[in-house]
Amino acid sequence: MARRLRLFKEQMTKAGVSPSMWSTRDDHFDLEHLEVKLEELEAELLEINANNEKLQHTYNELLEYKLVLEKVGELFSSAKNKAVAHQKELEFQTTVEGSIDSPLLLEQEETTTKQIKLGFIGGLVHREKSIPFERIIFRAARGNLFLKQGVIEHPVLDPLSGEMVHKNVFVVFYSGERVKSKILKICDAFGANRYAFSNDSSKQFQTIREVSGRISELKATIDAALIHRSTLLQTIGYHHGQWRLLIHKVLQRATMDCSSQVVAIFQVLETTESPPTYFCTNKFTSSFQEIVDAYGIAKYQEANPGVYTVVTFPFLFAVMFGDWGHGICLLLAALYLMIRERKFASQKLGDIMEMAFGGRYIIMMMALFSIYTGDASTTGFIKVRSTYPFGVDPKCHGTRSELPFLNSLKMKMSILLGVSQMNLGIIMSYFNAKYFKNNINIWYQFVPQIIFLNSLFGYLSLLIIIKWSTGSQADLYHLMIYTFLSPTDDLGENQLFVGQKLLQLVLLLLAVVAVPWMLLPKPFLLKKQHQERHQGQSYDLLCGTDDTLESESQSIAHDHDEFDFSEVFVHQLIHTIEFVLGAVSNTASSLRFLAHSELSSVFYDKVLLLAWGYNNTIVLIIGIFVFICATVGVLLLMESPSAFLHALRLHWVEYQNKFYEGDGYKFFPFSFTLLTDEDEL
Amino acid sequence: MGFLVTTLIFVVIGIIACLCTRICCNRGPSANLFHLTLVITATICCWMMWAIVYLAQMKPLIVPILNEGE
Repeated sequence: MARRLRLFKEQMTKAGVSPSMWSTRDDHFDLEHLEVKLEELEAELLEINANNEKLQHTYNELLEYKLVLEKVGELFSSAKNKAVAHQKELEFQTTVEGSIDSPLLLEQEETTTKQIKLGFIGGLVHREKSIPFERIIFRAARGNLFLKQGVIEHPVLDPLSGEMVHKNVFVVFYSGERVKSKILKICDAFGANRYAFSNDSSKQFQTIREVSGRISELKATIDAALIHRSTLLQTIGYHHGQWRLLIHKVLQRATMDCSSQVVAIFQVLETTESPPTYFCTNKFTSSFQEIVDAYGIAKYQEANPGVYTVVTFPFLFAVMFGDWGHGICLLLAALYLMIRERKFASQKLGDIMEMAFGGRYIIMMMALFSIYTGDASTTGFIKVRSTYPFGVDPKCHGTRSELPFLNSLKMKMSILLGVSQMNLGIIMSYFNAKYFKNNINIWYQFVPQIIFLNSLFGYLSLLIIIKWSTGSQADLYHLMIYTFLSPTDDLGENQLFVGQKLLQLVLLLLAVVAVPWMLLPKPFLLKKQHQERHQGQSYDLLCGTDDTLESESQSIAHDHDEFDFSEVFVHQLIHTIEFVLGAVSNTASSLRFLAHSELSSVFYDKVLLLAWGYNNTIVLIIGIFVFICATVGVLLLMESPSAFLHALRLHWVEYQNKFYEGDGYKFFPFSFTLLTDEDEL
Repeated sequence: MGFLVTTLIFVVIGIIACLCTRICCNRGPSANLFHLTLVITATICCWMMWAIVYLAQMKPLIVPILNEGE
């Protein structure tokens, strides 16, 4: 239907009819009825166009015919006059030489006989081809012909090409049928149009009158047809805008329905290659998907980390940035980009501006979460009686105990958030393995990873929560260290709950067991699987010894499935080491959550309040100016990208590293021609 | 006690947000599931943020020092 609308628009543009953009009628077209109506209109329009072309062709031919008749008439008249003059001259000679009557009579008889046998062809030929045309005809007939050409002053419409061309009228006199056939072939080769006419003057005039009559009649018909076509196009133009809007609305609704993160369903072809990956995104989620794709494109039907990234990425940024004032600044910038969305989308932006515009929804989400976390973690004072309900007690600000408390809070918060994020990643690997029915990855990858991570760092998180809840004075730092160094010693003052020593021993043992659990079984099980498959192929080979092609294909398959145990073992070893060390370093890297607030407080206290304290207008203005420059230049333009990069690293390393292979490639649809920008949705 | 009450408040807000998203942005089952995932994730993140700060202040180890810093 969109194609038909484009056809209608093209026809209207040619005819000079402009579509009415605003339809006064409020009829609601049903989509099926609209399709039928468009189909009928298209058929009618095509038929009218074909008829018009045919009529135009005939009209052009008749015009040429008329021109030929006029020119040939002129040629014949002049020839006749010359003949008369010649005859008079002959008579004069007869009078002078009266004694030679007998030879003259014989000569006259001979001329009459010759005239009866002559034939002639007339038509039109292109002016630039006329000289070669004349030369070739003369050569073909070996000089036994007479050719006369006349120039037509104004250009003529060519019936075949429909263009205005400069042409000459020609008349060829010849004798004999063989010469005639040659001349006809040469006329065809040069694209010369031939027209029949009589050598009688009265008949020529009669033919001219007939052709003129037909021309007038045909012109009237063409004009009527054009009027009808124009009327039809105007009718279409009246509804065109409405139909276009309706179709676009339907297409847009279809696009919205598939805007979720759904893996497209492909037609599976006979190939060993893995299919490409495609995720449906809209303008909101596409930028988050780009962040994930920068790490790697998902393997076919692999779980998409982009789904959770839409929320967790801005949240982690906000935990680091964490300032409601500057969050509002970011929000205003994002809103500006969103309001000017349509204008900026059609403009050519610079590199940095292009990136900012592309990520305007990321900026908005980061700003909203920053406002929340800034409010939730505002610095404050601690009351002994009751806990401050939301955020940090504001009385804490400026006291001596502020910095130790906040640093302790943020360090523990970092560990809790980091461990949560890593657990989410490992759980995603379980869903991946379950989907692909890979039991080896479930029992010998997911389970030991969960055990290892949570017996050490999950336990640390639990200790943090218990310490907060009970107000214990235990030193978690030493507690964790001595769990490894001397697990059987007494805990002393670091004990948090009854039976802690035994629990720590069990957890330590579990962690120690989890590492070889992760390392050893998978390579051996893969080897066993491969051997079973290999035996199956051996049986096939025995059955198919007679068929050479089958043997070759089996041989190829065998080469494809070649199994290198040492390679698989080393790969698993690297993976295990990476996970164990990664768990330690990723927990430590969560400490990058400590950021920003100190800097913001410094600028606020040292610049603005200091300037205010002087009670001087000039100093105050300078202080405000410095504060604004510091806010925009340092906190917004430098600190924001810094927090962004940290959040990016946390997502790639701590979250996606746990489950995401990302060794696929992106899907690009095949198309011969790209649609114009106007037709893009 | 305050912890449980506010946690319940977060749960209620989360449920209300899910229902509002379902009503306002109903665009097919797949998109709805996606929106539900986003809302739940956001609610959990916000709750974690609040809960961590709240727990840290329940029984502070660092004794507050008044008047001396001001």
